[in-house]
Amino acid sequence: MSNIRYEEIEGNGVGFYTLVACLGVLILAALGSVYYMEHNGHYVTGMSNRIVWGTPHVFAIFLIVAASGALNVASISSVFHKKMYKPLSRLSGLAALSLLAGGLMILVLDLGRPDRLIVAMTEYNFKSIFAWNIILYNGFFVVVGVYLWMMFERRMNKFSSKVGLLAFTWRLILTTGTGSIFGFLVARQAYDAVIMAPMFIIMSFAFGLAFFILILMASYKWSDRQLGDVVVNRLGNLLGVFIAAVIYFVAIYHLGNLYLAENTRVENFILFDGGIYTQLFWYGQILLGGLAPMALIYNPSTKGNRSMLGLASVLVIIGGIIQIYVLIIGGQAYPIEMFPGMDIIEGYGGIASYVPSLPEILLGIGGIAVSLVAIIFLVKFLPFLPESLADEVADPHHKS
Amino acid sequence: MSKALNRRDFIKTSTAVGVTTVAAGVTLTTFAENKEAVTNQKRWGMLIDTNNLTEAEIDNMVSACMKEHGWGSELHSTGDQKPSWIKKIKVQDRTTKKITSLPLMCQHCEQPPCVDVCPTNASMKREDGIVLVDKHLCIGCRYCMMACPYDARSFVHEDLTNQKEHMPRGKGTVESCTLCVHKVDNGEQPACVDSVNSDAVIFGDLKNSNSKINKTLRQIQSTQIRADLNLNTGVRYSGI
Amino acid sequence: MYRIFVILLGVIFMGISFAQYNNNLSGNSDATYRTTAFHDSVSRIRKMHPEFLIHKRDRTLRQGIRTDEDSLTECINCHANTDENTGHYIAVNEQDQFCSSCHKKVSTSVDCFSCHRTTPAEVF
Repeated sequence: MSNIRYEEIEGNGVGFYTLVACLGVLILAALGSVYYMEHNGHYVTGMSNRIVWGTPHVFAIFLIVAASGALNVASISSVFHKKMYKPLSRLSGLAALSLLAGGLMILVLDLGRPDRLIVAMTEYNFKSIFAWNIILYNGFFVVVGVYLWMMFERRMNKFSSKVGLLAFTWRLILTTGTGSIFGFLVARQAYDAVIMAPMFIIMSFAFGLAFFILILMASYKWSDRQLGDVVVNRLGNLLGVFIAAVIYFVAIYHLGNLYLAENTRVENFILFDGGIYTQLFWYGQILLGGLAPMALIYNPSTKGNRSMLGLASVLVIIGGIIQIYVLIIGGQAYPIEMFPGMDIIEGYGGIASYVPSLPEILLGIGGIAVSLVAIIFLVKFLPFLPESLADEVADPHHKS
Repeated sequence: MSKALNRRDFIKTSTAVGVTTVAAGVTLTTFAENKEAVTNQKRWGMLIDTNNLTEAEIDNMVSACMKEHGWGSELHSTGDQKPSWIKKIKVQDRTTKKITSLPLMCQHCEQPPCVDVCPTNASMKREDGIVLVDKHLCIGCRYCMMACPYDARSFVHEDLTNQKEHMPRGKGTVESCTLCVHKVDNGEQPACVDSVNSDAVIFGDLKNSNSKINKTLRQIQSTQIRADLNLNTGVRYSGI
Repeated sequence: MYRIFVILLGVIFMGISFAQYNNNLSGNSDATYRTTAFHDSVSRIRKMHPEFLIHKRDRTLRQGIRTDEDSLTECINCHANTDENTGHYIAVNEQDQFCSSCHKKVSTSVDCFSCHRTTPAEVF
């Protein structure tokens, strides 16, 4: 077995500092937005009593879902014992923690009373899936932290498999919990579906891997290290499979809902006559986020092309954000069906209007920036990245 | 037996009278102050007869609630950001085209989804069935607003001043109809019920078989909004 | 060195003992003119009022026990000063008023008044 050497990146070039500076500006903008929103109150945002969760929550849920999926690569190595993925495990754990930190930051800063975070940590309603998620998110930091330590500390390497299994199970429960935030809401037609939980799991696979591929390719390109095709192509194929799985779950979810008379109207809204939400669903989620990346990954003319894989990953991420947007905001825009068989003509109802406001968008982007800054700094200070992932190093037995 | 009051009798009588007077005063003040915790011996509910409730009366209900609790005059909130503890809803049957007007507020469910989902126990149900928001614990996550099947809850989107003494409300927390709990604890009725001068809206103890609401519910056909969710609401409607 | 240390300690202790707060009942609130005590001694209530208020609020909100004792509203009713010129009450959390005067000295934020009314209800 080849001996993988891990090394910190140099991180002292103009490019490095420019990147950090740009991300720093985005983070400052986000903090400014938070001050503006908290100081004035949420009336400065596009959110209202009809659309209670807006753009910040879209980004936050997206990052949290991607975080749990980013840990997949490490799990494939520790839990399923695929040796080729082992060198990637450290970066995988780091990506998971960073993405989660970014997502949680957005979520917490959008609270009506963020100064009461301590209350959220100390007063628990164990019947609330939200409260469970708080425990799961905090626990995820601890478990993955320990997992990384097992990987870094040579004497602990023999435990990394067991801790890896714990981390894998934990993130499955965590993502199930995140999906259940929506799945357990009986009030709204778009959400009341247990399939939300496994759908979120499969979404996490796709989004997390897309992020991981981009982070991997970028860090190797910008630190002038070798990244062989064997690793990249395996990850690319995996991404293709995950995208297909997401499309499958989305199809089942919507077809199932269409069949039930109870949910026909909300399905018609999302799929056919929901205006912006319908366009986002078909063009954004399905086409841009599903079919186009799959074509880029599997089409013989673009297969194996690294830039195309990078583009496919970017499309998956954009499509993922759009998917969560349609889910969260489209699901709220459609009115609650309080009187089946009747139309509400005054007082409530109608499609709620929502326009993302600038502070919300800046907060969301700032969260992504926080995740990326965390990764950038940590690969500089700790040996997360293998010195080389050239084909001979990563998989000596590969067939060229 | 002399008619003159001897000393012993005088002391006995005056002490007895004095004690009685003071005791009466003390007991009366304790009842007015309500030093006992509420129990589930009572369950407060409301019955709204939409057939006999006019639109003007519903508008009055909304105004009475605004006046009692001090909402409705927010300066910066626009459109759907404005609080609505109680709203007038007009529904039209798709087949018969009949239009019904009704007031919609927090339904004070027995199995409130908002209480289930609140991460900090801020959304709570009192023993006597009234569902409230403990704003000391509310972190403003708005999950209860997502979970409520009746769109009953409002989020405060701006700084507030000049709150009513009995109704603290603040930026960043969630609020909703309290069934005028401060009045109910004082033996009175909710402000919206008081504003309707007929039996179209009845308020009372659902568990008390002698109460008007209990007797009426036994006699007439009534329904809960979204009864299929099995939440067992405290607010019932007849005529829809 | 030892002498400096003793002097330093002495200064600190003197500072603590002299950091008595002024009796804040210097305005024209009802409490100023009250001859009998309504609540515990000043030192006890200064130390314990957060606890009293927290327990009381839970009793009122969650159990429906409504009393004047430990009630924040009653604190304000008694301790709010009136502006001599306009005749209106001054908010208790404004500069140098009942709550702020102590809370500013000890640098503790008062969270109550984002939701609670800052003056007694004015009856017109």
